[in-house]
Amino acid sequence: MKLRVNGVERGVDSGWQNENLLVVLREQLGLAGSRYGCGIGQCGACVVHVDGAPVASCMVPVTQAADKDILTIEGLAAPDGALHPLQQAWIDENVPQCGYCQSGQIMQALALLQQNSDPTDADIDLAMNGNLCRCGTYDRIRKAIKNAALTMQEVS
Amino acid sequence: MAMLTRRGFLIATGWVAGGATAVYAFRQRATAVGPTIIFPNQESGAAWLQIRPDGVCQMYFPRMEMGQNVNTGLAQVVAEELNLQTEDIVGITPSTSDVPPIAFTAGSLSMTLFSRPTAIAAAALRERLRGLAASQLSLPPAALLDAPGGFRTAAGDQLTYADLVDNNNLMVELDADQPLPTLYTFDAERKKTQVGRAVKPLDIHALVTGGPVYAADVPVAGVVFGRAVKPPVRNASIAQLDTSGVADVRGFIKLVRDGDFVGVVCKTPSAVDAAIGKIKVDWTLKQPINQGEVDRLIDVDAEMAQGDLEQVLQDKAHRKATEWAIDLRFDVQTQTHAMQEPRAAIARVNESQQLEIWTGTQDPWAIKRLAALDTGLSEDNVVVYPMRMGGGFGGREHYDVELDAVRLAMAVQQPVKVQWTRQDEFTTSRSRPASAHRLRIATDADGKLTDWWHAYITGHVFLARDRLPGWLMPIARLDEDLGVVRGAIAPYGAPHQRVECKDVDFPIDLGVWRSLTAAPAIFAMESAMDELALQQGKDPVDYKLAQLAGQHPRLRNCLTRVRDKAQQYDLPPGAGVARGYACGIYEHRCFVAISAEVQVDAQTQQIKVLRMCCVQDVGMAVNPGQLRAQVESNLAWSVGMALMENFEIGDDQIKSSNFDNYPIPRMADMPSVDIEIVDQPNIPPAGAGEVAIIAGPPAIANAIRRATGYRALRLPISYADTTTA
Repeated sequence: MKLRVNGVERGVDSGWQNENLLVVLREQLGLAGSRYGCGIGQCGACVVHVDGAPVASCMVPVTQAADKDILTIEGLAAPDGALHPLQQAWIDENVPQCGYCQSGQIMQALALLQQNSDPTDADIDLAMNGNLCRCGTYDRIRKAIKNAALTMQEVS
Repeated sequence: MAMLTRRGFLIATGWVAGGATAVYAFRQRATAVGPTIIFPNQESGAAWLQIRPDGVCQMYFPRMEMGQNVNTGLAQVVAEELNLQTEDIVGITPSTSDVPPIAFTAGSLSMTLFSRPTAIAAAALRERLRGLAASQLSLPPAALLDAPGGFRTAAGDQLTYADLVDNNNLMVELDADQPLPTLYTFDAERKKTQVGRAVKPLDIHALVTGGPVYAADVPVAGVVFGRAVKPPVRNASIAQLDTSGVADVRGFIKLVRDGDFVGVVCKTPSAVDAAIGKIKVDWTLKQPINQGEVDRLIDVDAEMAQGDLEQVLQDKAHRKATEWAIDLRFDVQTQTHAMQEPRAAIARVNESQQLEIWTGTQDPWAIKRLAALDTGLSEDNVVVYPMRMGGGFGGREHYDVELDAVRLAMAVQQPVKVQWTRQDEFTTSRSRPASAHRLRIATDADGKLTDWWHAYITGHVFLARDRLPGWLMPIARLDEDLGVVRGAIAPYGAPHQRVECKDVDFPIDLGVWRSLTAAPAIFAMESAMDELALQQGKDPVDYKLAQLAGQHPRLRNCLTRVRDKAQQYDLPPGAGVARGYACGIYEHRCFVAISAEVQVDAQTQQIKVLRMCCVQDVGMAVNPGQLRAQVESNLAWSVGMALMENFEIGDDQIKSSNFDNYPIPRMADMPSVDIEIVDQPNIPPAGAGEVAIIAGPPAIANAIRRATGYRALRLPISYADTTTA
């Protein structure tokens, strides 16, 4: 079985086909940036994109992701290491405290901005509702999403 | 462990040979049980820092990171003393083999206790290097002026640290009787370049790119997966165990039974889930677990009917019988930490028969000692590699997930990773105990306080089970539990004043939670004061300021300023909208006042906090950016405590198991915030990690009172509560 992760074809060992996508990414493919938080799709720490749509990877059997395009936080920056505008905005707004939820937050925010290049507070509340942050960095996440939206509008 | 000389110790650690190093070594030893409480002091500091021959400054970070990003603040202190850019400092989190034991990271004490020793070490290094520069140029040291990354002369000669430091080890030690060098950090007159600046966490890049910074991220060759079955309470024992079918799970490696410990090791995480799912345990409990039992234990009125409570914290001409203006009982719920990262640990026995543990913990040296006790290995043969924690909040001080990983790894002699599930995290919670408060206040004809009587019952906090060895506990409990009494003394003075409390053994596990008992106690006090003001037809802020007259100027300043700040915003029109205030003092040195705007919406049947303003004064603001972040976090937690969170206890089980049945604030629950950090350059910095939560919940409750007339006597507050007013 194969996965296409961040543009690279990766094989999954046969003993791992009962796992969910998050486990395979972390334990088989060495991509530990997507985090485990709840196991029931309630916290958003494990959000990745599958064929362009954000999903809680803890809820996706890896077999369902076979031959699909998977984007994880590790694939967000450019190959030369240049950060994505969202990552840069996260730094500029000094968003992370413990940092654990932030990969999922950024991936969810990416999905939002791909749909809506100029989101309002209400749009952000709705789109980010599935992403918990126990440290309470929500106010900064809101600002960072808006900053990134501006940057991305300028670029495009 | 043999006591090494300080020089010997540094060489033994593999700390880069060569370069100039400042050392304040610890001379104390850690005790085997209980938390690691070796805090730095004037004579024995905590700073290991070094200028490498290439001129780069590196330091061992003495604190465990869990979101407070405190080492960045300590790096700012080093940079200030050495005239460097904070961002150029290389920080290394030491393993337990790299440095002698350092106090556990807790109580928001890091800046208070570590900033000064760190400054002393860095300043001593600076002055020694100035001496070297002076002798190189045959000038008196005073002729060498500070310059970025080194020194300069009036004539314009420059010497960088790299010019001064070579491959020969230069050790700078300061003895207690030597005069201290000038500490730039604590010089209020100095125009600072690093301290006082909102420096971002030095490792922020890894946090936005998904770097492998948490325990479960560490790649360990040949790792297999394990977990243990979690009882609803740690003192439960196995009555009956059925493990049939476990060995048939595909990928099963081993079932491990050791007394009341039952765990499995498998080749993949899903196999672990399947195997754990097949294990059936009937637990024998020492106490029945149910909410009714908790309610009975904390029934403060029943206890007061029997006489005085166990601990009298304040007693000033107390009068039992007087005309009470306020006589209210407040009940505060049990809460859990619910940090975003469920705990994880990896353990392996390496080729040298050394036990290695990767874990996120507030107390790596305690983990090392307890793992040694648990396995019978000598402490020299246990190494803990502390990793960043995905949140702590007081919940990560114990040998918990590490125990699982260690026992399973020892049993299979293979590296084992244990990732607790979210349900494990809730089941094993060392929760903030529920509490019940009886608050009575009397005034004279002008409304001035005459009598104050606060009695409350809660569970043990610092002296909760398993925090100390069983034999020590009865002795320790003869004295007051400093977690239970935290925040109990009101800032408001009255001629007749009594505060008494009792702490009891809950049927569930308890422990340290952000601010300990201060948040519940101050919720009760600030609600009562607000109600008293309204009863007298007075503005609550004016009334509190009047009762604080002549005392606590820093608190009055916060309260005055937060009102000014809040009043800049017009309340949105409509019914059910109002603003409330509360204030408080945490640990005698942290002052905070908060306003909350709420909307109690009859249409959506919801309570929403629209905006919170906060003015906080914790002394010198070393990193205003991080202080602000901590306030934001405390405001989010205030919403959770006031309106959402309730740790549910079922019949002989913990009912709260995940975020679907223990809701915590989400994006839409987060109010707009306006925060002011009061900087006091002359006052040493205190911690901000658990300050604003003392005033946030009562500010919200007081706003709801204004909006609806409903006085919250029980947390969390639901919309339905407000309609029964």
